[in-house]
This record gives sequence, structure tokens and C-alpha cells, in this order.
Amino acid sequence: MPEKNIVEMHNIVKKFGAVVALKGVDFYVRENEIVGLVGDNGAGKSTLVKILFGIHASDEGEIIIKGKKYKRLTPKKAYELGIVLIHQERTLCENHPIWRNVFMGRELTNRFGFLKIKEMKELAYKSLAALELTKMPVDTPVKYLSGGYKQGVQISRAFTFEADLVILDEPTVALSLAEVQKVLDYVRELKRKGKSAIFISHNIYHVYPVVDRFVILNRGEVVAEFYKKDLTPEDLSEIMISIARTGKVPKEYEELNLYKKASPQSAS
Amino acid sequence: MAEIYKMHGIKKILYEFKLQFVITIIFLLIWLAFYLLNPPAFSNPFTYTSIMGVVPFTIIPAISLTLVIIAGEIDLSFASVMALGPLVMALTWQAFGEPTPLGILLGLLAGLGAGLLNGILITKLGIPSLIATIGTLFLWRGVVLVVTEGFSIPLGEFRNTLIYSIFVGRVFGIPVQFFWAIVLAIIFWIILNRHKFGAYIYYIGDNRTAARMVGINVDRVLITVYAIHGMVAAFAGILDSLEMATFWPALGDIYMLKSIASVVIGGTPVTGGVGTIYGTFLGGMILGFIEMGVLASGVSGFWIRLVHGVVIIIALAAQGIIRKGELAKIRIMRLLTT
Repeated sequence: MPEKNIVEMHNIVKKFGAVVALKGVDFYVRENEIVGLVGDNGAGKSTLVKILFGIHASDEGEIIIKGKKYKRLTPKKAYELGIVLIHQERTLCENHPIWRNVFMGRELTNRFGFLKIKEMKELAYKSLAALELTKMPVDTPVKYLSGGYKQGVQISRAFTFEADLVILDEPTVALSLAEVQKVLDYVRELKRKGKSAIFISHNIYHVYPVVDRFVILNRGEVVAEFYKKDLTPEDLSEIMISIARTGKVPKEYEELNLYKKASPQSAS
Repeated sequence: MAEIYKMHGIKKILYEFKLQFVITIIFLLIWLAFYLLNPPAFSNPFTYTSIMGVVPFTIIPAISLTLVIIAGEIDLSFASVMALGPLVMALTWQAFGEPTPLGILLGLLAGLGAGLLNGILITKLGIPSLIATIGTLFLWRGVVLVVTEGFSIPLGEFRNTLIYSIFVGRVFGIPVQFFWAIVLAIIFWIILNRHKFGAYIYYIGDNRTAARMVGINVDRVLITVYAIHGMVAAFAGILDSLEMATFWPALGDIYMLKSIASVVIGGTPVTGGVGTIYGTFLGGMILGFIEMGVLASGVSGFWIRLVHGVVIIIALAAQGIIRKGELAKIRIMRLLTT
């Protein structure tokens, strides 16, 4: 098990007016680790990763990426630090070809800002090929692609920019069963290529097959952390239901709960 | 069907640019129709140079307006900015007693400023662009009327100067302003298709949330687009006042709807995200040909609007049919790429 943390978030507090969305969350991702971030609606999963990607600013707390501290990130900065965010169809421009979507916001240009189109097409092809997404040419507009293929296009950004951390925010929502399997394959590919990922989902059966560790959020707080190897999907399901009802992990699983027992800071 | 994007050569180009193809056909049909109605007029070069003399005032602001519409916004105020620019120029020239380039520069800056104001109102204050630019449409027209008290400013005395020839002279009988329109079309085509800035304009119109999420500074891009558009509109107004050798306070009014029509005839939907400069240019040419054609065919000028209306509706209907076909294709392709 690799021990170095690629990302650490300490004591993250986020308020939206009177609503406290995150109440001092500690969170970390290790190198080449896939973390499943799960929890009920409104638990703060999306808010947490949006702070990590710089879309929201946290009110308190700090972020450490590859050993450097940050108070406030921007999407641009996050990109530069090797973080890619993948949303349910939200970071694609439907009318534009695959290659433009891969490079969206991070175009290869010359000194004067003119696009290096041929280079971008070639690089896009290469990173799509890493995911076996070569069925359609790179100048196909994204609107012609299925939901799973679109997620693949977004994930291929991670290969194009040699990102180290890919955040997948509900990437399997509204996908057919076969397409969910495709997305899970892409995540496995990330793992195989030495990258890390945060996988957010409501559906633990989508997350379970690919993750190394689960972090369970409830009402803006981390309540539990488990290694996947310690649990079956049924165990996890039971824990989630208990947390939704009582806010607590059932006693018989407390033994396995990593949270607070092993402080995340000590891992680095 | 899945083979569509595996096509090559002419077939692929025709498929990808079918909207532009349709517009080109409409343009050629209109040309043919007017030629058949009045062969002598439409074999006379003078007819064409006359068209080239007037269409730039519609086409030039339409070119920069295309950027605004691709970004998913709209601007109405450019019609008034088309008067603001030349007013500043005319006043400067009057003050100096000679056609100084400074007048042109100040006129363009006035347009730039008007565009910046639009951009700031829309992005920083969050006012919908339709509403904000109705406000500035009145504002700048009002400024022009108050300053001029409704009077025109004659520019005839500056007519035989170099500055005149540079902007609205004649080269081999062809009005120079038409070359300006072509040059601007090429520049804007390059910006849109080969430059990062153009890519951002498309992304902002296509999916603004996505553009923000990948770190594009949406506000800055929009403000820049409006500023450019303001400056280009002022430039078009300056050309028009030079061509007519007079500044008149209503300058620009008639171009508002014509320029917007050029953009939409050209296949740029008001929903943003897509659109071409080529289409806009041809859209403007279509309107210009109709004006000249109706006059040349000897019927009353009152027919111009009616024919404009019919052609706009035909062009939009053709686009609507193409887009509907596209939707069916999208559904099939999505299934094939699972």
C-alpha cells in the first residue's frame, strides 16, 4: 500500500448562508488510491470536491496538494496541479468535436494564443486510445456520443494532461448498465496507470468494485472510513443505512472504522 | 449511420457544413432569380459595385455580432453605437478643421467604451443582455440626439483627402469598404476558428457551466467580446458617415435588424454555441442583393421588406429542418456508440 498522500484537506468548513455544508472535514487521498466518497443527498460530497477543485472557496481549513499548502484554489490552479474533475455530462460542449472537448480550457497554443490543432488531435487520439475509445474519430461532435463514451472523453483528459488525481462526481448517473461497466473499466485503467481518484456516488454497488477505501460523509461530517477489503458490499450497505437512520456506525463495524483511530495527518 | 464521421473529402465537408451549403444555395438562387427578372441590370458591373458600396454597413457590425450571439448573448445597442462613433469623429474633425486620424481613433474608442459598458452591465451586474442593451441602445441614441440637437454634421469638405480614400475610396471601381468587410471577416474567422479566444467564445455559448469549471474566465471573455463588438460597430458607423459625407443623428437605426437578420440567416442560432462568419457574410450579401434586385426589377421599394421577410423565413425553415434531422441522427448515433 503506497503511503504518500497526494491530497490532504484539513478541517474544511463551508457555509452557505446559515447552512453549514461542511463542519470541519478531514480528508486525504494517497498515491494510486481510489477513494469512494459516499453518503446521502446533502451530505456534502460534491461541496467537498468542489472546494478541492477550486469552484468553491472554503470558509476555514487548508488544502495540501503534493506537500504544498493552499488556502484557496481555482479550477485553473487545480488543473495545473494535476487534478481533473469529471461531472455527469457537465464539462463537455456538445456541439464541439471530441478533441476540442479533451483540451477545453487547456488548449495547446503558440506564443500568440493560436491553436495547435494537429498536435491536439494527435494527443487526444493517444489518450482516448489508452481507454480504447477509438470507435469514433476525434473530430466527431460530442453530441453524437453515448453517455458512457462522453464520460470516457472526460476521463481521457486525465491521460492527456498527465493528471495524478481524477475526481469523478456521480459519473454513473443516468447511464445504462453496460455503460456503468465501461466507466468502471475506465476507473480501473486509471488505477493501473498509477493515478488516484475520488469516486462519488449514491450507488455503493457502482463504487464498490473499483475503490480501495470508502469515506462516508453524513451531514457535513466524515463519520466513517473503511478499507474495502474489510467489508462486503452488504456490510457497507448495512452501515450506510444505519448512518442514515442514526448517524452512527453499527457497533460490530466500529472495530474496522479507520476514522479518528488513524489520524490522516500521520499518514504522510 | 455510425459511418458519418468516418466520411472523407467532399462528402464529409458537405455534411459538416450543410448549413453553410444551404445558405450558399439560397444566395445563388436569389442571384439567379434577379438575373432572370432583369438580365441587363444584373450583367452590369455597376449593380455589383453599388451593392458592395452599401452591404458593408450591414455586414461589418454583423460579423462582430456573430461573436456575441455565438457566446449566447445578444446586443441591440450597436445600432446607436454606430452613430456614437462617427459623432465623436465628426466633432473631432470639426474642432481640428481637418480629417485627423485622431478623430477615427477617438470614434473607435467611444465604441470600445460603449461595448465595455454593455459587457460590465451584463456580466458584473447580471442584467440579461437583451434588457441591458435596450438600455444602452436608448442611452447612446439619446446622447447623440442631445449633442447634435437633431442636426446633421456635413463632412463633404473632407471628401478629397487620403483618409477618405483609405476607408471609402474606390479601387478599380470597387468600394474600399467592401474590402474592409472582407478583411474583418477573415480576421474574425481566424479568431473564432484558430485562436484560443474564439474557442472560449464557442464554449461559453455552448455550455457556460462547463466553461467555468475548466477555468475559463467567462466574464472577461464576454466583456472583451462586447468591447470588440462596440468598436467594430463604431467603425461601421464611421464608414457609413464617410461614404455619405455627412453625419446624421439617425445613423445606424436601419442596420440593427438587418445585421441581426444577417447573422440568423447565416445559420447562427440565437441559442449560441455554434455559428460561422461565412454564414453571416453571406446572410448580409443576401439582404443586399434583395434590396438591389427589388429596385432593379422595377417594382416599388416597399417590396424590399416583404422579400426580406420571406427569405429570412425560408432560411430559418431550412435550418429548422436540418436541425430536426440532426436530432434523429443524434439519437441513433448515441445508441451506436454505447
